Amino acid sequence: MKQVATLPARILWNAFFWTYERATWQYDVMVVTILAFVWLTPPDWLRDPMASGDGPIGWLLRRLAE
Amino acid sequence: MTVTGLIGRICMLPLRLIISACVALRIHPNILTFVGVLINIAAAWALALGKFFTAGVIMVIANIFDFIDGKVAIEMGAVSAFGGFWDSVIDRFSDISLFIGLIYLYSQLGRTDYVMITALAMMFAIMTSYTRARAESLIAKCKVGFMERPERIVLFMIGAFTNRMAAVMWVIGVLSVFTVADRIILTYRELRDTRREAVV
Repeated sequence: MKQVATLPARILWNAFFWTYERATWQYDVMVVTILAFVWLTPPDWLRDPMASGDGPIGWLLRRLAE
Repeated sequence: MTVTGLIGRICMLPLRLIISACVALRIHPNILTFVGVLINIAAAWALALGKFFTAGVIMVIANIFDFIDGKVAIEMGAVSAFGGFWDSVIDRFSDISLFIGLIYLYSQLGRTDYVMITALAMMFAIMTSYTRARAESLIAKCKVGFMERPERIVLFMIGAFTNRMAAVMWVIGVLSVFTVADRIILTYRELRDTRREAVV
């Protein structure tokens, strides 16, 4: 796979087949991606039973639409 | 140094003091493990009642016990095979109790969709531990995949403190599926290579 794969495909494969240790830069990138999803995704998009509202992304989209 | 490495070092400072106190008081690590699961059950109760912030605070306390038991065992010279087994078993009870707390909450709210998402996340979280334990009875090491217990616990706390538990369940669910798949793939490859070497 690694010999023929393009860079994006390799990045995706490495993110899926995770072999990195904690406290590496790859780990930091994954943590930031997860936190971005958790905190930025509007709860309404996920139909969150306990939280509501647009969240930062929804707010930004609303501002852009205005 | 990476950001997560720095956070880990900062968190270790107060934990070192707690570990030293436990060693000085000669508290057996197996007792610390057991106290940890009892506090986690209290956290699960708070989750079931929808009191996320309270659950987050209780989880922090519970996981201090979870984290320090192994270190206390090393410093007291009380490391044993049973201690390792006891810790693993009790950790599963702690994990499952938190998921059950959420499942109860979502079922009380009539949200079958999130009951299912949380139940699936729980299933794959347990399978993450099982696949590694079973694989390591066949191959030397099976430490692949992102979503291990520490990541799961920190995500539970983040979800509880910031009221984003639904997003956290999605993350735990999806990344646990990947982790289980990674461990199956690695075990298959390792066993296939061993078989090939045996034939040659």
